[in-house]
Amino acid sequence: MNGAEILLQPGVFPRLLQGLWVTVWIAGVSVALSVPVGLIVGWLMTMRNPVIRLLTRVYLDFIRIMPQLALLFIAFYGFARAWNWNLDATGACVFVFVLWGGAELGDLVRGALESISNAQYESAYVLGLGPWQTFTRVILPQALRRLLPASVNLATRIVKTTSLAVLLGVVEVIKVGQQIIDANRFQYPTGTLWIYGVIFFMYFIVCWPLSIVARRLEKRWSHD
Amino acid sequence: MTDMQQPSLRVAHLVKQYANADKPVLNDISFEVPHGKVFVIVGPSGSGKSTLLRTIAGLEPIQGGTISLNGEVIETGRPGTESAGRSKRSSALRTRVGMVFQSYDLFPNKTVLGNITLAPTLVQKRDKTEVEKEAVALLERVGLVDRKDSWPHELSGGQRQRVAICRALILHPEVLLFDEVTAALDPEMVREVLDVMLELADQGQTMLIVTHEMQFARAIADQVILLEDGGIVEQSDDAERFFTHPRTERARQFLRTFEFDRHRASGDAIGQ
Repeated sequence: MNGAEILLQPGVFPRLLQGLWVTVWIAGVSVALSVPVGLIVGWLMTMRNPVIRLLTRVYLDFIRIMPQLALLFIAFYGFARAWNWNLDATGACVFVFVLWGGAELGDLVRGALESISNAQYESAYVLGLGPWQTFTRVILPQALRRLLPASVNLATRIVKTTSLAVLLGVVEVIKVGQQIIDANRFQYPTGTLWIYGVIFFMYFIVCWPLSIVARRLEKRWSHD
Repeated sequence: MTDMQQPSLRVAHLVKQYANADKPVLNDISFEVPHGKVFVIVGPSGSGKSTLLRTIAGLEPIQGGTISLNGEVIETGRPGTESAGRSKRSSALRTRVGMVFQSYDLFPNKTVLGNITLAPTLVQKRDKTEVEKEAVALLERVGLVDRKDSWPHELSGGQRQRVAICRALILHPEVLLFDEVTAALDPEMVREVLDVMLELADQGQTMLIVTHEMQFARAIADQVILLEDGGIVEQSDDAERFFTHPRTERARQFLRTFEFDRHRASGDAIGQ
């Protein structure tokens, strides 16, 4: 029997779409929560206070050095059990991805803010703009332009990394795929390739537009 | 509104001292810029010319002396501010002194028109349509009205500098400061910027100019000072005389360095 027919089995596609929804939900919520965290972390990173600088530095380096999988295990099996948090696997994933996304985005925000030349602040000052007017009308719009392409790439990475949630037992798109393959192992022995092919395609559909947006923005704003 | 008896800008005994520096960058500087006159500051690199303009614009606090605008003291030197960032000058006072910088520092997130109208609408709370009308008129004067909707990155260096001049002019500053505005430009763009400045001088705009373009300085200046090591070496109310018959040996020596440059560049015989 042709392995491709596994895709036509009743319930296979809706279940895959449900799994995809879990993936997109975890990624979407994580990215959405990373934005405020990243803005605040980035702003803290530009501060002169040495204690704040050190703390944000340690936070960023810790997140960067640790594999995301290790962070997920620490959050789910470590912290949640040790302190009796009522944290389910999905919650642990969102928690870890926000910690990670917030740190990475924070570093992007810091870089963007620091890349704005002093001449911009000085011109605004001489024209009579106050500090808040300077920040909102001159500095932030430029920083966001420089920030956006890289943050869209970060969002793509977060979408892909949600696949690690399988290892905490979250039934997202990859887990659903495995279940379908296992259930049809005898009927469709060659179905594996087709299921994973569809999953590949689903990730592609989610991430590809993000990549396009990132590339477009990069091109449009490359002159600033 | 302006009292013609008072000099437009008056700098008296100005001292600028940075923290951790053994001597002041500017020491006891005094001069007056009369209404509608063009005052040029020349001097070797590191003489403190740019710093002087920055103190007048409020970008650096001063540690001694005063800066006055039309008889009103806008800045008083205070010891203890050596490591402070900027002076505490109010927003309204800052709009009364315009400044154009060496770097092309237009706001890249705003169009040409947006750059010019930002401060008058936001700081001076002027009517948007009135401000836009004036901005267009200013752009007309500098020959850039067809570029009003362009973005800064679409303009050449010379065009950007002309927009920067409009951006300063629309606030109707009592004094306009120019800090080596052609130093970063390609040679063929220097002319268009200098022409705009000459036209402003003809229209009676009070200006204080720091420049390395000696021929231009000679063409535009009413009064000149030569600055070196943070002090005034020679001050002249007769710019033409300063350039042809400087009083001090140091000024003669300084001016000669430019003649040598000109000789090499053009091959002309110099000095009659």
